[in-house]
Amino acid sequence: MQKKLSELKTGEKAIIIQVQGSGALRRRLLDMGLVRGTEIEMVRKSPLGDPLEFLVKGYNLSLRKMECENVYVEVKQ
Amino acid sequence: MSEKIKELLGEEAEVLLAEKRYEVISRILPKVLKGKKPLTRSDLLDKAFLNKYLGIPVFLALWWALFRFTFDVSAPLSDLIDMVFGRLGEIASMSIQNEQLASFVADGLIGGLGSVLVFIPPIFFLFFGLAILEDSGYLARAAFVVDRVMYKLGLHGKSFIPMLLGFGCNIPGIMATRTIDKEEDRILTILVNPLMSCSARLPVYVFIGGAVLGGYAAAGVYSMYILGIVLAVLMALLFRRIIPYFKGKPSAFILELPMYAMPTLRSTLAHMWERGVLFLKKAGTIILLATVVIWALSAYPWGAVHSGDEPLIEASYVGFLGHAIEPIFRPLGFDWRATVALFFGFVAKEIVVDTFGVLGLGGAEELQQVFNPVTGLAFMAFTLIYIPCLATIGVIYRETNSWKWTVFTVVYGVVLAYFVAFLIVGIGGMLGY
Repeated sequence: MQKKLSELKTGEKAIIIQVQGSGALRRRLLDMGLVRGTEIEMVRKSPLGDPLEFLVKGYNLSLRKMECENVYVEVKQ
Repeated sequence: MSEKIKELLGEEAEVLLAEKRYEVISRILPKVLKGKKPLTRSDLLDKAFLNKYLGIPVFLALWWALFRFTFDVSAPLSDLIDMVFGRLGEIASMSIQNEQLASFVADGLIGGLGSVLVFIPPIFFLFFGLAILEDSGYLARAAFVVDRVMYKLGLHGKSFIPMLLGFGCNIPGIMATRTIDKEEDRILTILVNPLMSCSARLPVYVFIGGAVLGGYAAAGVYSMYILGIVLAVLMALLFRRIIPYFKGKPSAFILELPMYAMPTLRSTLAHMWERGVLFLKKAGTIILLATVVIWALSAYPWGAVHSGDEPLIEASYVGFLGHAIEPIFRPLGFDWRATVALFFGFVAKEIVVDTFGVLGLGGAEELQQVFNPVTGLAFMAFTLIYIPCLATIGVIYRETNSWKWTVFTVVYGVVLAYFVAFLIVGIGGMLGY
């Protein structure tokens, strides 16, 4: 099932399909390792609900929901 | 060119580059790294520190600890420095024969140096504490916890710590903005930081409020803190709207949460030293220079000021200035003495209290002749908002590296102070004061 990264539930794992968005933001996301085919796991929400924390390539990355809207993923079963 | 690449390869160059780079990395990685990522101590700590219910209490507790550490531990040292320089000044003024030179050395030079050096203990302790939080990996998590609130206010998650530190002293608060990456977010945080009511303003509130607000003194003092926070939020939102430089949203929040690590004493001390010495070099020289100028304005013309046993401030250039700009402050109900006090408060806000003393308004009864409850409250608000102290201005210049933003902070502070004080007097007038 395809989703936006911002729609992943806590503990859910997915594979990145595509990263969209404007120049600088997109490049930054790519630099942080959010490239096609990468596995990403939603670890937790911030206590106030936003930003979100992900486990990607063995490290912990935090993104606002808004920034996650640009990333499309395929949820792993 | 980039169109051509997209046409030939079906993707943009930067995407392909990133993918290829990570492809190479993932080919090498399995050869050198064995096994799955275990559940580390770091993950366990995060289960507590970033927990839905515990996250915020932990955040507040750690900040509180840093705050107390910075200001409580350093207070005796600051007092000591204050005392030593007071002594040095006395010795200098007694041992130098020439009256003018003695006054220059004692009040101008040594007094100025003392006013720079009293800031060293809180600044070094703050940087020590911040370095521990940073090296341990918690600082990134603090931004993660609080980003949502700050974002709504037009600021960044990393703006929070500078704002809180501002309640102790705006200098370390402004210096702590260094952790904010994007220049626009950082400068905006610096601009509104002086509205956080620092500890030097408290004596003024207590002094004026205690004298003229009667049973409402405590509420009056407390309301100043709230007023500062409300104004900081409003100004941040306003500046985002109207100043083209700040247009747009706070920068993206793409932040690695590093593994927790035990900070080493060596790197913590190195951090502290590096940042602390910068403050001394840059801000220190400005503060020292300005203190000397203000000394000169209050000590000359020499003959007129020093005709009696006690220096007569009214006869000095500062007194002259107070009388000259008094009409501007008339609508707020401030007389020339209040004006002079505000002028000296520019050096350091706690000096406002001393100045009232020197001008013969040291007691509650005398103050009540100058202020009624409404103009007293207006004066407190004015003290909160107008020009940050000299040391803070020095640091704002140092941190923004721009006279434009430094002057802007001073000007908007004065205008806002006047506006708010005027509003208080106006509303008070309508209520019958």
